[in-house]
Amino acid sequence: MMGVHHLCKQYGGRAVLSDVSVEFPAQRVTSLIGPNGAGKSTLLMAMARLLEPSSGAIRWQARDVNRIPVAEYARHVATLRQAPGFNMRLTVEELVAFGRFPHSRGVLTAEDRRAMDEAIAFLSLEPLRHAFIDEISGGQRQMAFLAMTIAQQTDVLLLDEPLNNLDMKHAVQIMRALRRLCDEQGRTVILVIHDINFAVNYSDHIVALKHGALCFSGPAQDVVTEDRMAALYELDFEITRNRRGCFCNYFTPREDQS
Amino acid sequence: MRVPSNKICWLAALVMAVLVLTFVLVGSGLDMDYVIPKRLLRLASIALGAICVAVSAIVFQTLVNNRILTPAIMGYEAVYLLWQAMLLLLLGTQGLAMLGARGNFLVSVLLMLAYSWALQWWLLRRGRNDVYVLLLLGLVLTMVIGTFTQFVQLRISPGEFAVFQGVSYTSFNRAKPQTLLYAALVAVVICAVVRKTLPVLDVLALGREQAISLGVPHGRYLQLYLALIAILVALSTSLVGPTAFMGIFVANIVYALVPHARHRTTLPLGCAVAMAIFLVAQLLVEHVFNYKTTVSILVNLVCGVYFLALVVRKRGAA
Repeated sequence: MMGVHHLCKQYGGRAVLSDVSVEFPAQRVTSLIGPNGAGKSTLLMAMARLLEPSSGAIRWQARDVNRIPVAEYARHVATLRQAPGFNMRLTVEELVAFGRFPHSRGVLTAEDRRAMDEAIAFLSLEPLRHAFIDEISGGQRQMAFLAMTIAQQTDVLLLDEPLNNLDMKHAVQIMRALRRLCDEQGRTVILVIHDINFAVNYSDHIVALKHGALCFSGPAQDVVTEDRMAALYELDFEITRNRRGCFCNYFTPREDQS
Repeated sequence: MRVPSNKICWLAALVMAVLVLTFVLVGSGLDMDYVIPKRLLRLASIALGAICVAVSAIVFQTLVNNRILTPAIMGYEAVYLLWQAMLLLLLGTQGLAMLGARGNFLVSVLLMLAYSWALQWWLLRRGRNDVYVLLLLGLVLTMVIGTFTQFVQLRISPGEFAVFQGVSYTSFNRAKPQTLLYAALVAVVICAVVRKTLPVLDVLALGREQAISLGVPHGRYLQLYLALIAILVALSTSLVGPTAFMGIFVANIVYALVPHARHRTTLPLGCAVAMAIFLVAQLLVEHVFNYKTTVSILVNLVCGVYFLALVVRKRGAA
Protein backbone atom coordinates (compact mmCIF):
# COMPACT_ATOMS: atom_id res chain seq x y z
CA MET A 1 0.00 0.00 0.00
CA MET A 2 2.65 2.46 1.03
CA GLY A 3 6.33 1.84 0.60
CA VAL A 4 9.68 3.52 0.08
CA HIS A 5 12.28 2.26 -2.36
CA HIS A 6 16.00 2.98 -2.10
CA LEU A 7 15.28 6.25 -0.35
CA CYS A 8 18.26 8.51 0.38
CA LYS A 9 18.41 11.93 1.96
CA GLN A 10 21.55 13.98 2.35
CA TYR A 11 22.09 17.29 4.09
CA GLY A 12 25.26 18.75 2.67
CA GLY A 13 27.50 15.70 2.50
CA ARG A 14 25.92 13.95 5.48
CA ALA A 15 23.54 11.11 4.77
CA VAL A 16 20.50 11.08 7.05
CA LEU A 17 18.82 8.24 5.19
CA SER A 18 20.79 5.84 3.05
CA ASP A 19 19.12 3.35 0.76
CA VAL A 20 16.07 2.61 2.87
CA SER A 21 13.52 0.26 1.31
CA VAL A 22 10.54 -0.82 3.34
CA GLU A 23 6.87 -1.66 2.85
CA PHE A 24 4.19 -0.49 5.26
CA PRO A 25 1.31 -2.97 5.54
CA ALA A 26 -2.17 -1.60 4.89
CA GLN A 27 -4.70 -1.31 7.72
CA ARG A 28 -2.08 -1.91 10.37
CA VAL A 29 -0.41 0.24 13.01
CA THR A 30 3.28 0.53 12.19
CA SER A 31 5.80 2.07 14.58
CA LEU A 32 9.04 3.61 13.40
CA ILE A 33 11.58 3.13 16.17
CA GLY A 34 15.28 3.72 16.66
CA PRO A 35 17.72 5.91 18.55
CA ASN A 36 17.94 9.69 18.09
CA GLY A 37 19.31 10.68 14.71
CA ALA A 38 18.35 7.37 13.13
CA GLY A 39 16.31 9.14 10.44
CA LYS A 40 12.84 8.12 11.63
CA SER A 41 11.34 11.57 11.40
CA THR A 42 13.15 12.25 8.12
CA LEU A 43 11.58 9.13 6.64
CA LEU A 44 8.14 10.11 7.90
CA MET A 45 8.52 13.70 6.62
CA ALA A 46 9.59 12.41 3.21
CA MET A 47 6.49 10.21 3.11
CA ALA A 48 4.39 13.23 4.11
CA ARG A 49 6.06 15.19 1.28
CA LEU A 50 7.28 17.79 3.71
CA LEU A 51 10.83 17.28 2.49
CA GLU A 52 12.27 16.24 -0.81
CA PRO A 53 14.34 13.01 -0.76
CA SER A 54 17.73 13.18 -2.49
CA SER A 55 17.02 10.00 -4.41
CA GLY A 56 14.73 7.01 -4.35
CA ALA A 57 10.96 6.76 -4.61
CA ILE A 58 7.96 6.76 -2.31
CA ARG A 59 4.99 4.84 -3.62
CA TRP A 60 1.40 4.97 -2.56
CA GLN A 61 -0.76 2.24 -4.09
CA ALA A 62 1.95 1.63 -6.68
CA ARG A 63 1.97 5.30 -7.73
CA ASP A 64 5.00 7.53 -7.32
CA VAL A 65 3.84 10.16 -4.85
CA ASN A 66 5.63 12.94 -6.71
CA ARG A 67 3.17 12.41 -9.54
CA ILE A 68 0.16 12.87 -7.25
CA PRO A 69 -0.94 16.49 -6.81
CA VAL A 70 -0.57 17.75 -3.23
CA ALA A 71 -4.31 18.48 -3.05
CA GLU A 72 -5.21 14.91 -4.00
CA TYR A 73 -2.54 13.38 -1.76
CA ALA A 74 -4.08 15.17 1.23
CA ARG A 75 -7.30 13.22 0.70
CA HIS A 76 -5.39 9.93 1.09
CA VAL A 77 -2.56 10.69 3.51
CA ALA A 78 -2.78 12.96 6.56
CA THR A 79 0.19 14.12 8.59
CA LEU A 80 0.45 15.35 12.13
CA ARG A 81 3.65 16.80 13.45
CA GLN A 82 3.93 18.10 16.95
CA ALA A 83 1.16 20.62 17.55
CA PRO A 84 2.55 23.69 15.83
CA GLY A 85 2.28 27.19 17.20
CA PHE A 86 0.47 29.77 15.11
CA ASN A 87 -1.08 33.16 15.53
CA MET A 88 -4.70 32.38 14.82
CA ARG A 89 -6.97 31.92 17.80
CA LEU A 90 -9.09 28.88 17.11
CA THR A 91 -11.56 26.75 18.97
CA VAL A 92 -11.23 22.99 18.89
CA GLU A 93 -14.15 22.82 16.49
CA GLU A 94 -12.61 25.36 14.13
CA LEU A 95 -9.34 23.45 14.18
CA VAL A 96 -11.09 20.20 13.36
CA ALA A 97 -12.89 21.97 10.52
CA PHE A 98 -9.51 22.57 8.89
CA GLY A 99 -9.22 18.80 8.53
CA ARG A 100 -12.02 18.99 5.98
CA PHE A 101 -10.13 21.45 3.78
CA PRO A 102 -8.77 18.82 1.36
CA HIS A 103 -12.36 17.73 0.66
CA SER A 104 -14.32 20.94 0.68
CA ARG A 105 -11.70 23.67 0.08
CA GLY A 106 -13.07 25.83 2.87
CA VAL A 107 -16.85 25.66 2.45
CA LEU A 108 -18.24 23.15 4.92
CA THR A 109 -20.95 20.80 3.67
CA ALA A 110 -23.27 18.60 5.73
CA GLU A 111 -20.93 15.70 4.98
CA ASP A 112 -18.02 17.72 6.41
CA ARG A 113 -19.96 18.51 9.58
CA ARG A 114 -20.72 14.82 10.02
CA ALA A 115 -17.04 13.92 9.66
CA MET A 116 -16.13 16.63 12.19
CA ASP A 117 -18.73 15.39 14.68
CA GLU A 118 -17.46 11.86 14.25
CA ALA A 119 -13.84 12.84 14.83
CA ILE A 120 -14.74 14.89 17.90
CA ALA A 121 -16.90 12.10 19.31
CA PHE A 122 -14.23 9.52 18.51
CA LEU A 123 -11.76 11.24 20.83
CA SER A 124 -14.47 12.28 23.35
CA LEU A 125 -13.64 15.94 22.82
CA GLU A 126 -17.28 17.05 22.98
CA PRO A 127 -16.85 19.01 26.26
CA LEU A 128 -13.94 20.95 24.74
CA ARG A 129 -15.62 21.64 21.44
CA HIS A 130 -15.83 25.40 21.91
CA ALA A 131 -12.67 25.83 24.01
CA PHE A 132 -9.78 27.78 22.52
CA ILE A 133 -6.82 25.57 21.74
CA ASP A 134 -4.37 27.95 23.40
CA GLU A 135 -6.33 27.66 26.64
CA ILE A 136 -6.41 23.86 27.03
CA SER A 137 -3.67 21.55 28.29
CA GLY A 138 -0.92 20.11 26.10
CA GLY A 139 -2.51 16.67 26.10
CA GLN A 140 -5.92 18.03 25.15
CA ARG A 141 -4.33 20.14 22.41
CA GLN A 142 -2.61 17.07 20.99
CA MET A 143 -6.01 15.33 21.01
CA ALA A 144 -7.56 18.28 19.20
CA PHE A 145 -4.89 18.16 16.50
CA LEU A 146 -5.37 14.42 16.21
CA ALA A 147 -9.10 15.03 15.78
CA MET A 148 -8.31 17.36 12.89
CA THR A 149 -6.17 14.66 11.29
CA ILE A 150 -8.91 12.07 11.82
CA ALA A 151 -11.53 14.37 10.31
CA GLN A 152 -9.42 14.45 7.17
CA GLN A 153 -10.69 10.86 6.67
CA THR A 154 -7.62 9.58 4.92
CA ASP A 155 -6.57 5.96 4.44
CA VAL A 156 -3.15 6.69 5.90
CA LEU A 157 -2.19 8.71 8.98
CA LEU A 158 1.42 9.73 9.52
CA LEU A 159 2.20 10.86 13.07
CA ASP A 160 5.49 12.26 14.27
CA GLU A 161 6.00 11.52 17.96
CA PRO A 162 2.35 11.98 18.95
CA LEU A 163 3.14 11.15 22.59
CA ASN A 164 5.79 13.79 23.10
CA ASN A 165 5.39 15.70 26.37
CA LEU A 166 2.20 13.86 27.29
CA ASP A 167 1.47 12.29 30.65
CA MET A 168 0.79 8.56 30.85
CA LYS A 169 -2.98 8.92 30.78
CA HIS A 170 -3.07 11.03 27.65
CA ALA A 171 -0.44 8.83 26.02
CA VAL A 172 -2.56 5.73 26.62
CA GLN A 173 -5.65 7.59 25.41
CA ILE A 174 -3.99 8.54 22.15
CA MET A 175 -2.51 5.09 21.52
CA ARG A 176 -5.87 3.44 22.19
CA ALA A 177 -7.50 5.85 19.79
CA LEU A 178 -4.97 4.99 17.09
CA ARG A 179 -5.54 1.30 17.70
CA ARG A 180 -9.29 1.78 17.32
CA LEU A 181 -8.83 3.83 14.16
CA CYS A 182 -7.02 0.88 12.67
CA ASP A 183 -9.29 -1.88 14.01
CA GLU A 184 -12.69 -0.21 13.63
CA GLN A 185 -12.16 1.97 10.58
CA GLY A 186 -9.43 0.08 8.76
CA ARG A 187 -7.04 2.98 8.55
CA THR A 188 -3.30 2.63 8.17
CA VAL A 189 -1.39 4.35 10.96
CA ILE A 190 2.35 4.98 10.74
CA LEU A 191 3.97 6.72 13.67
CA VAL A 192 7.38 7.68 14.98
CA ILE A 193 7.56 6.78 18.63
CA HIS A 194 10.25 6.79 21.29
CA ASP A 195 8.55 4.83 24.03
CA ILE A 196 9.41 1.27 23.07
CA ASN A 197 6.77 -0.20 25.35
CA PHE A 198 3.98 1.71 23.64
CA ALA A 199 5.40 0.65 20.28
CA VAL A 200 5.50 -3.02 21.18
CA ASN A 201 2.10 -3.16 22.86
CA TYR A 202 0.07 -1.12 20.41
CA SER A 203 1.52 -1.76 16.97
CA ASP A 204 1.21 -4.64 14.55
CA HIS A 205 4.36 -3.89 12.67
CA ILE A 206 7.73 -2.46 13.65
CA VAL A 207 10.24 -0.71 11.44
CA ALA A 208 13.58 -0.04 13.15
CA LEU A 209 16.12 2.43 11.79
CA LYS A 210 19.68 3.00 12.92
CA HIS A 211 22.22 5.47 11.49
CA GLY A 212 19.91 6.24 8.58
CA ALA A 213 19.61 2.64 7.44
CA LEU A 214 16.99 -0.03 7.96
CA CYS A 215 17.93 -2.16 10.98
CA PHE A 216 15.03 -4.61 10.93
CA SER A 217 11.33 -4.68 10.20
CA GLY A 218 8.50 -7.12 10.63
CA PRO A 219 5.49 -8.05 12.77
CA ALA A 220 5.91 -6.70 16.28
CA GLN A 221 5.51 -10.12 17.92
CA ASP A 222 8.32 -11.63 15.85
CA VAL A 223 10.95 -8.95 15.59
CA VAL A 224 11.02 -7.61 19.13
CA THR A 225 13.66 -9.75 20.78
CA GLU A 226 16.19 -8.95 23.46
CA ASP A 227 19.13 -9.34 21.07
CA ARG A 228 17.69 -7.14 18.35
CA MET A 229 16.66 -4.40 20.76
CA ALA A 230 20.04 -4.48 22.48
CA ALA A 231 21.77 -4.07 19.13
CA LEU A 232 19.41 -1.28 18.04
CA TYR A 233 19.67 0.87 21.15
CA GLU A 234 23.04 -0.35 22.47
CA LEU A 235 21.34 -1.00 25.79
CA ASP A 236 20.72 -4.13 27.79
CA PHE A 237 17.08 -5.26 27.39
CA GLU A 238 14.99 -7.68 29.35
CA ILE A 239 11.69 -8.50 27.67
CA THR A 240 8.94 -10.15 29.66
CA ARG A 241 5.60 -11.17 28.23
CA ASN A 242 2.48 -11.75 30.23
CA ARG A 243 -1.28 -11.76 29.92
CA ARG A 244 -1.52 -7.99 29.53
CA GLY A 245 1.23 -7.60 27.02
CA CYS A 246 4.89 -7.25 26.62
CA PHE A 247 7.26 -5.25 28.77
CA CYS A 248 10.73 -4.17 27.74
CA ASN A 249 12.89 -3.28 30.68
CA TYR A 250 15.98 -1.31 29.80
CA PHE A 251 16.01 0.99 32.82
CA THR A 252 18.41 -1.07 34.89
CA PRO A 253 21.21 -2.91 33.07
CA ARG A 254 22.20 -6.32 34.40
CA GLU A 255 24.92 -6.21 37.01
CA ASP A 256 27.62 -7.89 34.96
CA GLN A 257 27.25 -5.51 32.03
CA SER A 258 27.13 -2.19 33.73
CA MET B 1 -16.26 34.40 24.98
CA ARG B 2 -16.80 35.52 21.43
CA VAL B 3 -16.51 39.11 20.29
CA PRO B 4 -19.36 39.85 17.92
CA SER B 5 -17.31 40.58 14.83
CA ASN B 6 -20.48 41.44 12.93
CA LYS B 7 -21.07 44.36 15.24
CA ILE B 8 -17.53 45.58 14.75
CA CYS B 9 -17.94 45.44 10.99
CA TRP B 10 -21.13 47.48 11.15
CA LEU B 11 -19.43 49.97 13.42
CA ALA B 12 -16.50 50.18 11.00
CA ALA B 13 -18.89 50.86 8.11
CA LEU B 14 -20.61 53.60 10.10
CA VAL B 15 -17.35 55.27 11.10
CA MET B 16 -16.21 55.05 7.51
CA ALA B 17 -19.36 56.74 6.21
CA VAL B 18 -19.02 59.60 8.71
CA LEU B 19 -15.35 60.08 7.90
CA VAL B 20 -15.90 60.03 4.16
CA LEU B 21 -18.74 62.54 4.36
CA THR B 22 -16.70 64.80 6.64
CA PHE B 23 -13.74 64.56 4.33
CA VAL B 24 -15.68 65.39 1.20
CA LEU B 25 -18.08 68.01 2.55
CA VAL B 26 -16.59 69.95 5.47
CA GLY B 27 -15.60 73.45 4.42
CA SER B 28 -16.23 72.66 0.77
CA GLY B 29 -19.03 75.18 0.39
CA LEU B 30 -20.59 72.47 -1.80
CA ASP B 31 -18.40 73.63 -4.66
CA MET B 32 -19.07 71.02 -7.33
CA ASP B 33 -16.68 72.46 -9.87
CA TYR B 34 -13.38 72.40 -8.09
CA VAL B 35 -13.25 71.52 -4.39
CA ILE B 36 -15.40 68.41 -4.34
CA PRO B 37 -13.98 66.76 -7.49
CA LYS B 38 -10.47 67.38 -6.13
CA ARG B 39 -11.46 65.85 -2.84
CA LEU B 40 -13.05 62.85 -4.51
CA LEU B 41 -9.79 62.29 -6.34
CA ARG B 42 -7.88 62.39 -3.08
CA LEU B 43 -10.49 60.09 -1.55
CA ALA B 44 -9.84 57.60 -4.37
CA SER B 45 -6.10 57.81 -3.68
CA ILE B 46 -6.74 57.21 -0.01
CA ALA B 47 -9.03 54.25 -0.64
CA LEU B 48 -6.64 52.63 -3.08
CA GLY B 49 -3.61 53.24 -0.88
CA ALA B 50 -5.47 51.87 2.14
CA ILE B 51 -6.54 48.70 0.33
CA CYS B 52 -3.01 48.07 -0.95
CA VAL B 53 -1.40 48.67 2.44
CA ALA B 54 -3.90 46.61 4.44
CA VAL B 55 -4.14 43.61 2.12
CA SER B 56 -0.39 43.39 1.51
CA ALA B 57 0.44 43.69 5.21
CA ILE B 58 -2.11 41.13 6.45
CA VAL B 59 -1.33 38.58 3.75
CA PHE B 60 2.40 39.07 4.31
CA GLN B 61 2.05 38.50 8.04
CA THR B 62 0.11 35.33 7.37
CA LEU B 63 2.80 34.01 5.02
CA VAL B 64 5.68 34.66 7.42
CA ASN B 65 3.57 33.78 10.49
CA ASN B 66 4.80 36.87 12.27
CA ARG B 67 2.85 39.90 13.41
CA ILE B 68 5.57 42.50 13.60
CA LEU B 69 6.72 42.43 9.99
CA THR B 70 5.47 44.34 6.96
CA PRO B 71 6.33 44.02 3.30
CA ALA B 72 8.43 47.16 3.83
CA ILE B 73 11.07 44.83 5.27
CA MET B 74 11.55 43.33 1.83
CA GLY B 75 12.97 46.59 0.52
CA TYR B 76 10.35 47.58 -2.07
CA GLU B 77 10.13 51.11 -0.71
CA ALA B 78 13.90 51.37 -0.54
CA VAL B 79 14.07 50.56 -4.25
CA TYR B 80 11.46 53.23 -4.93
CA LEU B 81 13.35 55.88 -2.98
CA LEU B 82 16.67 54.97 -4.62
CA TRP B 83 15.04 55.27 -8.03
CA GLN B 84 13.62 58.71 -7.20
CA ALA B 85 16.98 59.87 -5.86
CA MET B 86 18.79 58.52 -8.92
CA LEU B 87 16.32 60.29 -11.21
CA LEU B 88 17.04 63.57 -9.47
CA LEU B 89 20.78 63.00 -9.58
CA LEU B 90 20.93 62.01 -13.24
CA LEU B 91 18.21 64.12 -14.78
CA GLY B 92 17.53 66.81 -12.19
CA THR B 93 14.11 68.26 -11.54
CA GLN B 94 13.56 68.79 -15.28
CA GLY B 95 14.04 65.07 -15.76
CA LEU B 96 11.30 64.36 -13.29
CA ALA B 97 9.04 66.76 -15.15
CA MET B 98 10.00 65.19 -18.49
CA LEU B 99 9.16 61.69 -17.35
CA GLY B 100 5.82 62.99 -16.10
CA ALA B 101 3.80 61.66 -13.18
CA ARG B 102 2.43 58.79 -15.23
CA GLY B 103 5.81 57.77 -16.60
CA ASN B 104 7.37 57.89 -13.17
CA PHE B 105 4.51 55.83 -11.75
CA LEU B 106 4.88 53.18 -14.40
CA VAL B 107 8.66 52.94 -14.17
CA SER B 108 8.54 52.82 -10.36
CA VAL B 109 6.01 49.99 -10.38
CA LEU B 110 8.00 48.02 -12.92
CA LEU B 111 11.24 48.52 -11.00
CA MET B 112 9.74 47.29 -7.74
CA LEU B 113 8.27 44.27 -9.49
CA ALA B 114 11.60 43.50 -11.16
CA TYR B 115 13.29 43.72 -7.76
CA SER B 116 10.77 41.38 -6.16
CA TRP B 117 10.99 38.85 -8.95
CA ALA B 118 14.78 38.97 -8.94
CA LEU B 119 14.71 38.19 -5.21
CA GLN B 120 12.39 35.24 -5.67
CA TRP B 121 14.19 33.96 -8.74
CA TRP B 122 17.44 33.96 -6.82
CA LEU B 123 15.82 32.06 -4.00
CA LEU B 124 14.19 29.51 -6.29
CA ARG B 125 17.39 28.92 -8.21
CA ARG B 126 18.96 27.77 -4.98
CA GLY B 127 16.09 25.36 -4.60
CA ARG B 128 15.05 26.76 -1.25
CA ASN B 129 11.60 27.92 -0.41
CA ASP B 130 12.51 29.26 2.95
CA VAL B 131 10.66 32.39 3.99
CA TYR B 132 13.31 33.32 6.51
CA VAL B 133 16.12 33.40 3.98
CA LEU B 134 13.94 35.67 1.86
CA LEU B 135 13.25 37.95 4.83
CA LEU B 136 16.90 38.14 5.81
CA LEU B 137 17.93 38.93 2.26
CA GLY B 138 15.20 41.56 1.98
CA LEU B 139 16.24 43.18 5.24
CA VAL B 140 19.91 43.34 4.27
CA LEU B 141 19.07 44.70 0.81
CA THR B 142 16.80 47.33 2.39
CA MET B 143 19.73 48.62 4.37
CA VAL B 144 22.18 48.45 1.47
CA ILE B 145 19.80 50.25 -0.87
CA GLY B 146 19.00 52.78 1.87
CA THR B 147 22.68 53.58 2.24
CA PHE B 148 23.02 54.05 -1.51
CA THR B 149 20.06 56.41 -1.43
CA GLN B 150 21.67 58.43 1.33
CA PHE B 151 24.84 58.61 -0.70
CA VAL B 152 22.93 59.87 -3.72
CA GLN B 153 21.12 62.41 -1.52
CA LEU B 154 24.48 63.94 -0.64
CA ARG B 155 25.19 64.49 -4.30
CA ILE B 156 22.01 66.34 -5.23
CA SER B 157 21.37 70.05 -4.82
CA PRO B 158 19.27 71.39 -1.93
CA GLY B 159 16.46 72.20 -4.35
CA GLU B 160 16.41 68.69 -5.67
CA PHE B 161 16.62 67.40 -2.12
CA ALA B 162 13.42 69.28 -1.29
CA VAL B 163 11.74 67.56 -4.23
CA PHE B 164 13.10 64.23 -3.02
CA GLN B 165 11.69 64.82 0.44
CA GLY B 166 8.36 65.48 -1.20
CA VAL B 167 8.28 62.04 -2.82
CA SER B 168 9.51 60.28 0.31
CA TYR B 169 6.45 61.32 2.32
CA THR B 170 3.03 59.79 2.10
CA SER B 171 0.81 62.17 0.16
CA PHE B 172 -2.55 61.87 -1.52
CA ASN B 173 -2.22 64.85 -3.82
CA ARG B 174 0.23 63.24 -6.18
CA ALA B 175 -1.84 60.77 -8.14
CA LYS B 176 -3.42 61.75 -11.46
CA PRO B 177 -6.89 60.45 -12.40
CA GLN B 178 -5.51 58.24 -15.14
CA THR B 179 -2.84 56.55 -13.05
CA LEU B 180 -5.45 56.07 -10.34
CA LEU B 181 -7.71 54.33 -12.81
CA TYR B 182 -4.97 51.93 -13.98
CA ALA B 183 -3.92 51.23 -10.41
CA ALA B 184 -7.52 50.63 -9.38
CA LEU B 185 -8.01 48.10 -12.17
CA VAL B 186 -4.92 46.16 -11.13
CA ALA B 187 -5.92 46.32 -7.47
CA VAL B 188 -9.40 45.01 -8.28
CA VAL B 189 -7.94 42.03 -10.12
CA ILE B 190 -5.60 41.26 -7.20
CA CYS B 191 -8.40 41.58 -4.66
CA ALA B 192 -10.50 39.19 -6.74
CA VAL B 193 -7.68 36.62 -6.71
CA VAL B 194 -7.22 37.01 -2.95
CA ARG B 195 -10.96 36.75 -2.41
CA LYS B 196 -11.11 33.52 -4.36
CA THR B 197 -8.34 32.00 -2.27
CA LEU B 198 -9.40 33.22 1.19
CA PRO B 199 -9.69 29.69 2.68
CA VAL B 200 -6.18 28.89 1.39
CA LEU B 201 -4.86 31.90 3.30
CA ASP B 202 -6.49 30.57 6.48
CA VAL B 203 -4.76 27.22 5.95
CA LEU B 204 -1.42 28.90 5.23
CA ALA B 205 -1.72 30.63 8.61
CA LEU B 206 -1.38 27.17 10.21
CA GLY B 207 2.22 27.00 9.00
CA ARG B 208 4.00 25.28 6.12
CA GLU B 209 3.81 21.69 7.32
CA GLN B 210 0.15 21.75 8.29
CA ALA B 211 -0.69 23.48 5.02
CA ILE B 212 1.00 20.81 2.91
CA SER B 213 -0.61 18.10 5.00
CA LEU B 214 -3.98 19.71 4.22
CA GLY B 215 -3.22 19.66 0.52
CA VAL B 216 -2.09 23.22 -0.09
CA PRO B 217 1.04 23.35 -2.26
CA HIS B 218 2.84 25.78 0.02
CA GLY B 219 5.70 26.79 -2.28
CA ARG B 220 3.45 27.65 -5.18
CA TYR B 221 1.06 29.75 -3.09
CA LEU B 222 3.98 31.47 -1.38
CA GLN B 223 5.24 32.62 -4.77
CA LEU B 224 1.79 33.68 -5.89
CA TYR B 225 1.11 35.75 -2.79
CA LEU B 226 4.59 37.30 -2.70
CA ALA B 227 4.08 38.39 -6.30
CA LEU B 228 0.67 39.88 -5.45
CA ILE B 229 2.14 41.64 -2.41
CA ALA B 230 4.93 43.07 -4.57
CA ILE B 231 2.37 44.50 -6.98
CA LEU B 232 0.24 45.96 -4.17
CA VAL B 233 3.22 47.57 -2.45
CA ALA B 234 4.50 48.89 -5.76
CA LEU B 235 1.08 50.42 -6.47
CA SER B 236 0.67 52.04 -3.08
CA THR B 237 4.24 53.32 -2.94
CA SER B 238 4.06 54.97 -6.33
CA LEU B 239 0.59 56.34 -5.65
CA VAL B 240 0.90 57.75 -2.15
CA GLY B 241 4.58 57.31 -1.27
CA PRO B 242 6.21 55.07 1.33
CA THR B 243 3.98 54.16 4.25
CA ALA B 244 6.60 52.30 6.31
CA PHE B 245 5.04 50.91 9.48
CA MET B 246 1.43 51.65 8.64
CA GLY B 247 0.95 47.98 7.71
CA ILE B 248 1.95 46.74 11.16
CA PHE B 249 -0.44 49.15 12.88
CA VAL B 250 -3.34 48.30 10.61
CA ALA B 251 -2.87 44.54 10.89
CA ASN B 252 -2.43 44.55 14.65
CA ILE B 253 -5.37 46.87 15.25
CA VAL B 254 -7.48 44.43 13.24
CA TYR B 255 -6.19 41.42 15.20
CA ALA B 256 -7.00 43.26 18.42
CA LEU B 257 -10.52 44.12 17.23
CA VAL B 258 -11.38 40.63 15.98
CA PRO B 259 -8.93 38.20 17.61
CA HIS B 260 -10.29 34.97 16.18
CA ALA B 261 -11.44 36.08 12.80
CA ARG B 262 -10.41 34.53 9.52
CA HIS B 263 -9.13 36.36 6.50
CA ARG B 264 -12.60 36.93 5.12
CA THR B 265 -13.14 39.32 8.03
CA THR B 266 -9.65 40.61 8.73
CA LEU B 267 -8.91 41.70 5.16
CA PRO B 268 -11.98 43.93 4.61
CA LEU B 269 -11.76 45.26 8.15
CA GLY B 270 -8.06 45.96 7.59
CA CYS B 271 -8.93 48.02 4.51
CA ALA B 272 -11.48 49.97 6.56
CA VAL B 273 -9.04 50.61 9.39
CA ALA B 274 -6.30 51.73 7.00
CA MET B 275 -8.72 54.03 5.23
CA ALA B 276 -9.96 55.49 8.50
CA ILE B 277 -6.40 56.20 9.62
CA PHE B 278 -5.51 57.85 6.32
CA LEU B 279 -8.72 59.90 6.35
CA VAL B 280 -8.20 61.11 9.91
CA ALA B 281 -4.60 62.02 9.16
CA GLN B 282 -5.52 63.85 5.96
CA LEU B 283 -8.40 65.70 7.69
CA LEU B 284 -6.03 66.81 10.42
CA VAL B 285 -3.43 67.93 7.90
CA GLU B 286 -5.99 69.90 5.91
CA HIS B 287 -8.14 71.46 8.59
CA VAL B 288 -6.16 71.51 11.82
CA PHE B 289 -2.51 71.79 10.86
CA ASN B 290 -3.10 73.71 7.67
CA TYR B 291 -0.56 71.64 5.72
CA LYS B 292 2.19 72.42 8.22
CA THR B 293 2.80 68.74 8.87
CA THR B 294 2.67 65.60 6.76
CA VAL B 295 0.38 62.61 6.68
CA SER B 296 3.31 60.27 7.43
CA ILE B 297 4.08 61.95 10.72
CA LEU B 298 0.43 62.03 11.76
CA VAL B 299 -0.14 58.42 10.74
CA ASN B 300 2.76 57.29 12.88
CA LEU B 301 1.53 59.44 15.75
CA VAL B 302 -2.13 58.37 15.55
CA CYS B 303 -1.37 54.70 14.95
CA GLY B 304 1.37 54.57 17.51
CA VAL B 305 -0.77 56.04 20.26
CA TYR B 306 -3.77 53.87 19.45
CA PHE B 307 -1.66 50.75 19.19
CA LEU B 308 0.01 51.44 22.52
CA ALA B 309 -3.38 52.09 24.10
CA LEU B 310 -4.64 48.75 22.79
CA VAL B 311 -1.66 46.89 24.18
CA VAL B 312 -1.92 48.59 27.56
CA ARG B 313 -5.67 48.00 27.76
CA LYS B 314 -5.27 44.32 26.87
CA ARG B 315 -2.59 43.92 29.51
CA GLY B 316 -4.87 45.54 32.04
CA ALA B 317 -7.77 43.24 31.15
CA ALA B 318 -5.69 40.08 31.28
